[in-house]
Amino acid sequence: MWRYIVKRLLLTVPVLFGVAFVVFVMVRIVPGDPAQIMAGQQATRELVEGIRRDLGLDRPLLVQFADFMAGLLRGDLGRSVRSRAPVTEELAHRIPNTLRLAAAGMLVATTVGVTAGVVSAVRPYSLVDTAVMVVALAGLSMPIYWSGLMLILVFAVWLNWLPAVGSDSLAHLVLPAAALGFTSAAIIARMTRSAMLEVLRADYIRTARAKGLAERVVINRHALCNALIPVITVVGLQTGTLLSGAVLTESVFAWSGIGRLMVDATLNRDYPVVQGAVLLVALSFVLVNLVVDLLYALVDPRIRYE
Amino acid sequence: MRVLAVCLLAFAMLAAGAVAGAAPAPARGGTLIIAEGSDATTLDGHRYTDSPTAERMEHICETLFWLSPEGRVEPRLATAFTFSPDGRRLTIRLRPTVRFHDGTPFNAQAAKWNLDRVLDPATRASFRSLIDRVTQVVALDANTLVLLTNAPFAPLVLNLTHGGVCMQSPTAIERLGPDEYARNPVGTGPYRFREWVRGDRITVTRFEEYWGEKGHFDAIQWRVIPDDGARVAAVESGAVHIAKRVPPRDVERLRANRALRVEVQTSLRTIFIGFNVTRPPFNNRRVRQALNYAINKEAIVRAILGGTARVSDAPIAPGVAGYARIMTYEYNVERARQLLAEAGYPNGFRATLHHPVARYIRDAEIAAAIQGLLRRVGVEVELVPMDIGSLVAFTNKPQAEATHQMYMLGWGTVTGDADYGLYNLFHSSQWPPAGFNRGFYRNPQVDALLDRGRTTLDQAERNRIYREAMALIMEDAPWIFLHSESQVTAYRAEVQNVYMHPAERLVAMQGFFRR
Repeated sequence: MWRYIVKRLLLTVPVLFGVAFVVFVMVRIVPGDPAQIMAGQQATRELVEGIRRDLGLDRPLLVQFADFMAGLLRGDLGRSVRSRAPVTEELAHRIPNTLRLAAAGMLVATTVGVTAGVVSAVRPYSLVDTAVMVVALAGLSMPIYWSGLMLILVFAVWLNWLPAVGSDSLAHLVLPAAALGFTSAAIIARMTRSAMLEVLRADYIRTARAKGLAERVVINRHALCNALIPVITVVGLQTGTLLSGAVLTESVFAWSGIGRLMVDATLNRDYPVVQGAVLLVALSFVLVNLVVDLLYALVDPRIRYE
Repeated sequence: MRVLAVCLLAFAMLAAGAVAGAAPAPARGGTLIIAEGSDATTLDGHRYTDSPTAERMEHICETLFWLSPEGRVEPRLATAFTFSPDGRRLTIRLRPTVRFHDGTPFNAQAAKWNLDRVLDPATRASFRSLIDRVTQVVALDANTLVLLTNAPFAPLVLNLTHGGVCMQSPTAIERLGPDEYARNPVGTGPYRFREWVRGDRITVTRFEEYWGEKGHFDAIQWRVIPDDGARVAAVESGAVHIAKRVPPRDVERLRANRALRVEVQTSLRTIFIGFNVTRPPFNNRRVRQALNYAINKEAIVRAILGGTARVSDAPIAPGVAGYARIMTYEYNVERARQLLAEAGYPNGFRATLHHPVARYIRDAEIAAAIQGLLRRVGVEVELVPMDIGSLVAFTNKPQAEATHQMYMLGWGTVTGDADYGLYNLFHSSQWPPAGFNRGFYRNPQVDALLDRGRTTLDQAERNRIYREAMALIMEDAPWIFLHSESQVTAYRAEVQNVYMHPAERLVAMQGFFRR
């Protein structure tokens, strides 16, 4: 088990270097010049060229790449073109916010999604099932900037129960977590339902019922545990997505996280920040996938990692 | 010497204690929260280029002179100025006993240090060009500063009102270094910097030792709320006191809300479609005029901008010193078709229009409307949306390499002087990559007039010069002249004495809450 974990962690190193190379090339292929953007629309040519020299953008690409890689090995991601702050500091500012939002969103999504999926599967094709699936479909179809604004309108503007925007307190977390969690909950509910329906048709469930076990025990202990594997996969993927910064949610709720940092940096061609943020997101995806793989073994003892 | 006369008048008014718009007695206390779509970029007053940063900096750092919303030059850290008879020597008297927030005295030495820093190419000061005609800065005594230029340069005093040449603590910059200072600014303003949580908020607090009328708020906080709908909801729910850049569609609804006040302030920013006038079909003046006639500017302002903009009647906006109403090309499809036929394009032609997305108010929608209107006269326009950074870089190529035909951009005449709004855009010395004349317009008469406007000190004479230049420019039609933008701002009713400056900055220096 431990050997497996160490091996997987070592494998992340080439993955991150690959990502670093791709993102380094990608940001420079896109038209737009950080020096021009920084100097502003009304800048003189001398100013733009001076800034380009200061940022080292006048050097050959290979030299810039070697410099970037050397920094990476030292754990130095460079400085933001815009704010001149170290990129690591820029990321460190945002990581707690992104983690809080992702965790709260995932809590909402998993609780609501798994419960709704199980309820649907236990009474397939009933009125309850149809209602849950319609709501799930709505959750999947509604763009978050619309559902988010509706939540703000109802709970902040009309009822005045919760703060509209910001990330200062626990109360500020409720609306964005609900908006974010709702979309993921819909995906998890649909996955849980189909996995449960499949399991409920299995022989061992019939056996459990024949033994006279209570339906609650059959569903929770025998069916749900076996249905969880595909659900965990989906939850893992959703977590990765949330950790990469729920850009729209962060924009609507003025939540200062990694997603918005990445969008702003991309628009401003702030190369070092884009590179740092993408690397961070890649790392979080790799780690979440590892955790998901380890969870399989927990819910299904037949799965072993050697 | 009209400028000087105006200045003296302003001083007299201030001395008499005349305050614009007698407001209720200011109450002290509270934190004003302002919601804005974007964050500041850098807090080094000499290195920013955007108005969100300018607004925050203006409360922290001060300039020698101040441009009033009415376009007057007023005293700030300087109390008076005189030009020598030959116009090459500007003597400035500074306000005595002023200190920076870190205790450093503000005097002629500090002012010279700041101007020298802006002039030093190594600083990469964004607005160095505003004072680059200054050959030497001399601190004559503790409170007297002299600026020498090699030729008369009329816009100099107005240019000194620009935040890009503000006064910052030399001690702080030398102690922290430029990168660290850019996150910890120190000025002489009524509010001092407290914190910047990047992407989230900037907070400033009242400076108790301020030389002038002290701030009434305990603190002012700018919150970043990128989404328009969320920003409006935040001011409706009372989470913030002011929401900037309210979408035009929300104006009517918000006006019905008694807890709010909505104000529409015309700005100094002009929006236009430029033509590359060196290549067919736009090297033909008739074609350019035809396209001006083909665009229904009033309908764009009414339908897309909810009436919150002003159709252009000159290349610069009202409120700019030197502005005069010249003319507007009426919406006349027949006249447009006739001109196209005369130019040899009876069946129209195809062209591309590069336009920004989400930079100016509803820019993409305006571009789409222009595409539809031009189709009516047989001109098929292909729209190429770009983010502003890419568009600026794309249109900044030398004439031989330039491939753009039509491009949509805006220009804010931030110094409030016609020179800044005309010379940069229409003088032939300003072809890219040297300057901003991205359509490669050249008219020797216009060049000569713009040169004279720079070196003439008498404002009445300058007004005549600029009127003549603008008439020629309007007739040559190097642009489709569209509109000047308005800033729509929503305030909670209790917010008093806070207003939007035409230069697109919110001024909360003397604001307070009505109790």
